[in-house]
Amino acid sequence: MSAKQKKMGEEKVVKTACSSHCGGRCLLEVHVRDGVITRIETDRGEEPQLRACLRCRAYRQRVYDPDRLQFPMRRTGERGEGLFERISWDEALDTIVSELNRVRSTYGPSAVLLLGGGGDASQLHTSRLLGGLLAMTGGYTDKWGIQSFEGGLFASLATYGTLSSHNAFDDLLNSRLIIMWGWNPVTTIHETNTNWYLLQAKESGTKIISVDPRYTDSTAVLASQWIPIRPGTDTAVLIAMAYVMIAEDLFDKSFLDTYTVGFERFRAYVAGDEDGIPKTPVWAETISGVPAQDIENLAREYATTKPAALVAGIGPGRSAYGEQYHRAVKTLAAMTGNIGIHGGWSGRSSVPQWQFGGYDFKLGKLPDGGGNPVERGVPPRTDALPTLKGSDSSARIHAAEIADAILKGRAGGYPADIKMALVMHTNPVNQYPNTNKMVQALRKLEFLAVAEQVMSATAKFADIVLPVSTFLERDDIIVGGVRPFYGFVKKVIEPLYESRSPLEICQGLASRLGISLYAGKTDDDWLRTMVAGSFVPDYDTLKEKAIYRIKSAEPHVAFKEQIEDPEQHPFPTPSGKIEIYSQWLDAMNSPGIPPIPTYIEPWEGRRDPLAVKYPLQLITTHFKRRAHTQFDRVPWLRELMPQAISINTRDAEARGIRDGDKVRVFNERGEILIQAKVTERIMPGVVDLPQGAWYDPDEQGVDRGGCANVLTRDKRSPGGAACHNTGLVEVAKVDEGKP
Amino acid sequence: MKLAFYFNDARCTGCYACVVACKDWHDIPPGPVFFRRVVVTEQGHYPRVAVRFVSTACHHCDKPLCISACPAGAISKRAQDGIVVVDSELCLGRESCGGACLVACPSDAPQFGAEPNARMQKCDLCCDRWAEGKKPICVEACPMRALDAGDQDTLESSYGRVKGGGQS
Repeated sequence: MSAKQKKMGEEKVVKTACSSHCGGRCLLEVHVRDGVITRIETDRGEEPQLRACLRCRAYRQRVYDPDRLQFPMRRTGERGEGLFERISWDEALDTIVSELNRVRSTYGPSAVLLLGGGGDASQLHTSRLLGGLLAMTGGYTDKWGIQSFEGGLFASLATYGTLSSHNAFDDLLNSRLIIMWGWNPVTTIHETNTNWYLLQAKESGTKIISVDPRYTDSTAVLASQWIPIRPGTDTAVLIAMAYVMIAEDLFDKSFLDTYTVGFERFRAYVAGDEDGIPKTPVWAETISGVPAQDIENLAREYATTKPAALVAGIGPGRSAYGEQYHRAVKTLAAMTGNIGIHGGWSGRSSVPQWQFGGYDFKLGKLPDGGGNPVERGVPPRTDALPTLKGSDSSARIHAAEIADAILKGRAGGYPADIKMALVMHTNPVNQYPNTNKMVQALRKLEFLAVAEQVMSATAKFADIVLPVSTFLERDDIIVGGVRPFYGFVKKVIEPLYESRSPLEICQGLASRLGISLYAGKTDDDWLRTMVAGSFVPDYDTLKEKAIYRIKSAEPHVAFKEQIEDPEQHPFPTPSGKIEIYSQWLDAMNSPGIPPIPTYIEPWEGRRDPLAVKYPLQLITTHFKRRAHTQFDRVPWLRELMPQAISINTRDAEARGIRDGDKVRVFNERGEILIQAKVTERIMPGVVDLPQGAWYDPDEQGVDRGGCANVLTRDKRSPGGAACHNTGLVEVAKVDEGKP
Repeated sequence: MKLAFYFNDARCTGCYACVVACKDWHDIPPGPVFFRRVVVTEQGHYPRVAVRFVSTACHHCDKPLCISACPAGAISKRAQDGIVVVDSELCLGRESCGGACLVACPSDAPQFGAEPNARMQKCDLCCDRWAEGKKPICVEACPMRALDAGDQDTLESSYGRVKGGGQS
């Protein structure tokens, strides 16, 4: 919106919470005149203020994006071609329901796949609505495997028996040492104000060390030391740190005796009793590129500075055997006695406590139809932990394997022959691994419907596209906070064009499927009911103020009770203790998921024979001006920095590449043409292409948008971790003159 | 009273919230005009690297070089608060005078759009917001509290005198 503001109607300022997928949860003050957003300010209220990041500051351009989808459409060209014609909502919804009925009656309900996600994640307007509706009307095939941090979840469940293993980030103010391991919160926001607390910790004298393949912005501002490490080798370095602690008698024996089981078996592995390989710092140096001396120093520093927080970022776990990295971090946290105390860190992946069951806000749940009939009576996966309730069904397909499952079906060992898919709040072409394979898979479907705000890479493949409203055009509730709070997301303006909310889409489908549950109920009706049993004292006050903070006397510390009074408060594991040796994993008997934290050589690592052909390790990180694919086209953000592949000066020179050159990035799975960013800020042998740039293939199938998943492999780690940071590529300069 | 910005580069993470908030508040279209910018500098060689972020805008100098450089007298320093403002109506345009203000300014504060003979625009320290009792939009945007603004004497007593304070 570049139109100059004219003095017309009165300007009003609406307080609301944001519902973006950046990792934060902030408050906005949205200026509206004559039903049009004119400006966006942020929280100006009581401290700690929840100040918005650049993404929400630019949200006006997202709402008024000239490319927003305006009305429902039907595909007229080939899948992926992007040719559509306008249709009515009735026709769009009728078509979806008739295809749903046709596919179910022809192939059975498991032929229907639902792909939901976390885009604009909130409590009411989510793809869970569609899941509930599909469950009520016969069932569907669901996915499992959260692409961001399934490895962390798996490790938390195996080691502690629970997902509630996360300290509040403001508790880092109590730490004397903070190790940011693959953690870059300056770019990947982990709760609003986490950086503010980290900065205060630094300013009060806490030492911060960064272990990362990149000299990240967090490293630059917060850390006093950078230890570069090759991707996928974190577990080796962590285990070598354990070796140092054992060799130098620097570990907390009484903590291990009281609260853990299995340390002796881990110790035997570290010593090399079975495989004959002592896991020394020199052994880890060969694997990781981290000098043995640095490993020794880091081990000593972590073991002798108390309390200390080794904060495990998500990125290193988004790799082959990523579960082992998270398991190793937890083992070190136990060896140093940093669990259950202020200033320590249990080693849970950096997912805030409020997500996924970590903190109970006691909000009412959306209708789930009493469970998915397709999963009823179906046994759990043999590699699922018993505590992974809900997503352990063997009827589900792992997110990384969706494309392969669509292509191969039951004949390929998958639980269903998928014939149609419904997609909401996610963009699988762009964000699932192996984009080119996903493209093939979506071409094979008999029917695909996508609900979106813009013509995403996935929407281009849809038979029916539904335009969805933004969070400023509907009411909702979010939860979050370093200290927990509820936020009210307010309908600030009327939905633009013919866009509808996810709830309205669900209502439209429900009435056609003979489900009356949603009829006539507004956002307000649902939200009022959801809040009724929660800590919110008054719904209307929450709605007016946009925030209700749960008062807590001190920062939350996970496992405080278990540590202070272990007799009365056992861990919810088979042994009742922290399981360094996991009985559940032992029972699984799966070589890729050993019962003790183990370094397993990953596929497509530096020592893979494939590295001769593709010598560079690719990592696909978060980008400051996007939230995954979201915000990529917002002009105020786009002009701040170009999508580019970061490559170390030495690797660039060896290939004749200069900063800003256009380069080809390629492997067996695909090819990208993108600008090179030549920098000293990344380890030689590693390249970083931030994920989320929009897939934009040319006629030869070469992606000119810089979509990192064109290059990633669609293989999951044995425990379910996605592997977007495991992959080999080569980079070559593009000759001038050629396109 | 003389209003001024305060900036602590040890706190700046280069998050650009200030830059984007400024563009939104002042309704500046995408393009070359940035009243506030973040300058990123990378130094050293792997693995000994240093990166610094500096958020910068007009310093509203005590003795603004842009004022004496402007052939049209379009730039002035307000007596009541020291804010340096430009009268775009008086500005001759960048090509007409060779962008004399930009040449003179040590911090690239004068900004020009992409249009031919663009007239100068610049940070006005959000003088509209002070009238409402609000600090500049960039200051209220900063999640790391690296930015502040206020009476220069008050800022100096809060944060200590900053080097180069005579000009900034």
